[in-house]
Amino acid sequence: MPPRLNTLTAVCRNLTIRSRPLAQWPAQPCIAVAAPRTITTTPSQTRNQNKPNVKELSRTTKRWSSTTSSSEGQLETTSAENEAALSQLQMVAYGLNPFDVSVEGHKYGLPELPIPSEMHMKHRYNPVVDQITRLLMQDGKLSKAQRDMAIILNYLRTSPPPKLNPARPLLPGAPPASHLPLDPVLYLTLAIDSVAPLIRVRALKGMAGGGFSLDVPVPLAARQRRRIAFQWILDVVNKKKSKGSGRTMFPHRVAEEIVAVVEGRSGVWDKRQQLHKAGTTARANLNSPNLRRKRKSF
Amino acid sequence: MATPNCLRCLLVRPSVAARLPAARQMITAAAPFSTTANSRAAGGPQQGKGKKAPKPPVKGKQMNLSAFKKKRDVDKSKPPLPGERKAYRKRILLSNNNALPVPGLQDVNAESMLQTSNSGKVLSLPDAVVDQLRAVEAFKPTQCWGVFRKPSMLVRAETVELMQKMQKAADSQQALRLVVTGDRITGKSMLLLQAMTHAYLNDWVVINVPEAQELTTACTEYAPIPNNPTQYMQQNYVLKMIQAIRKANEKLFSRLTTVHQHPDLPQHVPVSSPLLQLANSAKEADGAWAVFHALWQELTTKGYGRPPILFALDGVAHIMKMSDYRSPAFEQIHSFDLALVRLFADCLGGNVQLPNGGAVLASTSRNNSPRTPSLELALLQREAEQNKTEVPKKDPFFRGYDERVDAVLKSVQVLRLDRVSKAEARAVMEYWAASGVLRATVDEATVSEKWTLGGNGVLGEMERAALLTMRL
Repeated sequence: MPPRLNTLTAVCRNLTIRSRPLAQWPAQPCIAVAAPRTITTTPSQTRNQNKPNVKELSRTTKRWSSTTSSSEGQLETTSAENEAALSQLQMVAYGLNPFDVSVEGHKYGLPELPIPSEMHMKHRYNPVVDQITRLLMQDGKLSKAQRDMAIILNYLRTSPPPKLNPARPLLPGAPPASHLPLDPVLYLTLAIDSVAPLIRVRALKGMAGGGFSLDVPVPLAARQRRRIAFQWILDVVNKKKSKGSGRTMFPHRVAEEIVAVVEGRSGVWDKRQQLHKAGTTARANLNSPNLRRKRKSF
Repeated sequence: MATPNCLRCLLVRPSVAARLPAARQMITAAAPFSTTANSRAAGGPQQGKGKKAPKPPVKGKQMNLSAFKKKRDVDKSKPPLPGERKAYRKRILLSNNNALPVPGLQDVNAESMLQTSNSGKVLSLPDAVVDQLRAVEAFKPTQCWGVFRKPSMLVRAETVELMQKMQKAADSQQALRLVVTGDRITGKSMLLLQAMTHAYLNDWVVINVPEAQELTTACTEYAPIPNNPTQYMQQNYVLKMIQAIRKANEKLFSRLTTVHQHPDLPQHVPVSSPLLQLANSAKEADGAWAVFHALWQELTTKGYGRPPILFALDGVAHIMKMSDYRSPAFEQIHSFDLALVRLFADCLGGNVQLPNGGAVLASTSRNNSPRTPSLELALLQREAEQNKTEVPKKDPFFRGYDERVDAVLKSVQVLRLDRVSKAEARAVMEYWAASGVLRATVDEATVSEKWTLGGNGVLGEMERAALLTMRL
């Protein structure tokens, strides 16, 4: 029922908490009495637009130090003003402009809009990492899979830079091998995307005539390609033997296989090659009259 | 060599064997494992090359179960040797060459952990000390050493406090008797490691029990001490321990010389031979306890340039209860009746003095630790006494208290390791970021986020939230 929904949202919009007007605070900061704070702040890139205007601040400080110096004793007793000044100083320490309307009343300011996808609770992980984690999961135990994923990333981070094999080229534009360990997510993504197959071979039943199926190559979406690649990796991993014991062994085996993929040692590359060969062969079937007829009928 | 006959065949009763005809007996002896009927095994029809073998008479339809069975892949690779898998699990990596070297990172020295100005700073361990700490198993496999370039640690306010206490005790030739406690992964074992670091840097002798549960869960051999049958020695463990002490304190031991006669040792060690020789005389588990006893006697001799001793033990709850060992009468042995544990408990309780000063540090553990009501209560009581608050009383209706434990913990000090402050958290996070491991800008917001995610500054939880996460 769309109309009801609209009214509801309209009502809700009216109920949203709005920041209090600036006038509610004493407009003048009492910096002269505030305790000196030395917090070295490195402003993050995202908050650059909220950066306080230093000149403006220093100007106000000077102005107020000159005006308040005469009545210092009196100001020490006015605690409300003092607190306001302290809170403003605190905001400066956080890298915010206390006189910014959007910031007032918020400890860390308002988030930038549109909200970046990683700020959404359900999309907080890198999409590849998230997908692979769910492929690692067994019996619906997601948090276990997440721990495994963390161990995998940690393994990649601590393993020596891979020795690339020119016979098994990675994706074009890949960073040099020495850069990979310090960015384990990139390492993982690169490994999986590099061995991911471009196509799958679909067997159309009875299309070849005489009850034979017709093999036809079908392109895959990025997510599908990653899924197939990682399942190949998992197949290899499940046949491997653990070196040690305990709960870290499964993720260690997965991570070892990922390193093997990047170094071109893994058998997964052969699987990919085989599939691509079969796809090249089946490419001829795309011109099959049966298939054309079927396409026409749609 | 395997016997040609199976042993079960020898068990055939003579009366049965006698009843069998002689020819039958011979065949049985020739093929004892054959389950084929004798008539067929002896001589079936000869199969020609081209001819098909005549089919056996059909008995009716029979189910072939093997058709449904999956073929198993027989693993022909060599199975791992005993202990190999555990060793892989427990291996300790102390360096990650991928991590960036942190500029301006200072090494810890003999005084740096005593200075309050160093509180809230990250300092790294010198290589020599790393080897010593490794020898006494001060590093734990659960700690995050393997992520960074060089083993480094945060000097906390508690660290400075403990080191100052230790130094004060050593200067006044007293023993600091202290139990470190706190929530899980707040850094209790780490504090012990820092204490050991300080001790090594100041030329102390360190005796470390890295996991107290190894002593009391009946996983190492034990035997009654020959002239004191109510106490038990754990020879294998003690041998390992002597070797660790010797390896870690080699320089010191070659400088110090013996002053007592030790007639009970497996080898003759004359007076005024280096302590290294004494430690080396423990070659086998048999004489290890005697050597340890002699070593302890030498180290606790007053004067003669003997250094202070640090006796540390992690997981103290395991020794504050009945052990899993049994006496010859199959009665449970109290942990304090194990000689090594007894020595530690006596030192902790103040019954055994350290005449050259030093420290006896115990640390509770929140991993796999048993419930020990006496220890829990004693820690609360001592803490309340220190803080001058109301001292909790024993539950009069509870029978699980242990008097021997109460006696030991009557006068110990308690150091409760709490959460780190935001300033300390910031120092650690700046170190992480400088190592290239934390890929974020370290500002108030990030520090605050990780500090909050880590249970308001539980250091281990902060590590989990920032380093061991999927969200890098």
